[in-house]
Amino acid sequence: MAPSSPRLSAAQAAAALRDIRRTERRSAERYGDRIASQHLIWWGVIYAIGYGVGVVPRWEGPAWLVLAPIGVAGSVVLGVRQKRDASQARNWRWLAAGAVMVLFLSELLAVLPPTTDAQIGAVIPLLVGFCYALYGIWQAGARMVWTGVVLGALTVLGYLQVHAHFSIWMAVVGGGGLILGGLWLRGA
Amino acid sequence: MREELEQPDGNIHQPLRLKIMAALRGLPPKDSALDFTRLRALTGATDGNLGAHLASLERAGYIEILKDFHNRKPRTRARMSAQGRRAFAAYVEYLQELIS
Repeated sequence: MAPSSPRLSAAQAAAALRDIRRTERRSAERYGDRIASQHLIWWGVIYAIGYGVGVVPRWEGPAWLVLAPIGVAGSVVLGVRQKRDASQARNWRWLAAGAVMVLFLSELLAVLPPTTDAQIGAVIPLLVGFCYALYGIWQAGARMVWTGVVLGALTVLGYLQVHAHFSIWMAVVGGGGLILGGLWLRGA
Repeated sequence: MREELEQPDGNIHQPLRLKIMAALRGLPPKDSALDFTRLRALTGATDGNLGAHLASLERAGYIEILKDFHNRKPRTRARMSAQGRRAFAAYVEYLQELIS
């Protein structure tokens, strides 16, 4: 039998409920951060290799043809490893979200086809950063929002200001930024 | 159930214990555990205070304390039990009744 305590006033009960909701939300956000961190670090490595190889223009296309499926497969493996800690419904939503992202990216590139390799290299991280920011707003929290926003800003900065060395910029700053963002989220 | 609602549950009435329960309840998966360090950050408690209240909740059967080694370091984690989940839901219902 649980020990009983004095009855609370309505104001105290409302304050306790606010405290409960705040703590539950923060706990859920930190959990989302930790789940996302592994994917960010993984894709940071893929970015660093892909854009690094892309310094040699004729290798860029083939490199991404190999790395993109490896990246997706790695994310699936991470997702499966996380599955024991996640509900089935959430996994289906993540798979659906990934499929929708690929679909709309393909449609976007069909309507507005990039004319240079640098444009392709910039458009994809911008969309990815946008998705990270949305995920942060709805699920993970402020750290994920900042990771997405900073990824987008660094991509535009590199595209506009370091155009001649855009691949190196994205390998070091984009890939490195994702890895750092992942480590930052892992500590959440 | 009605009896539970008439008096606050003394095991989770204390503010820090309530925060501990809320932090564990906030995890999306039902069986997930939070390690001591993250629980301390979420609740803002000191080591000693958190340890004492975790022990109280464990004695009440509301949480389970899991001790193991992770990356060769000892790790302490807390996980909400089914009994704790029911008690927390009843307590939240009690609070909602008070303000309605």
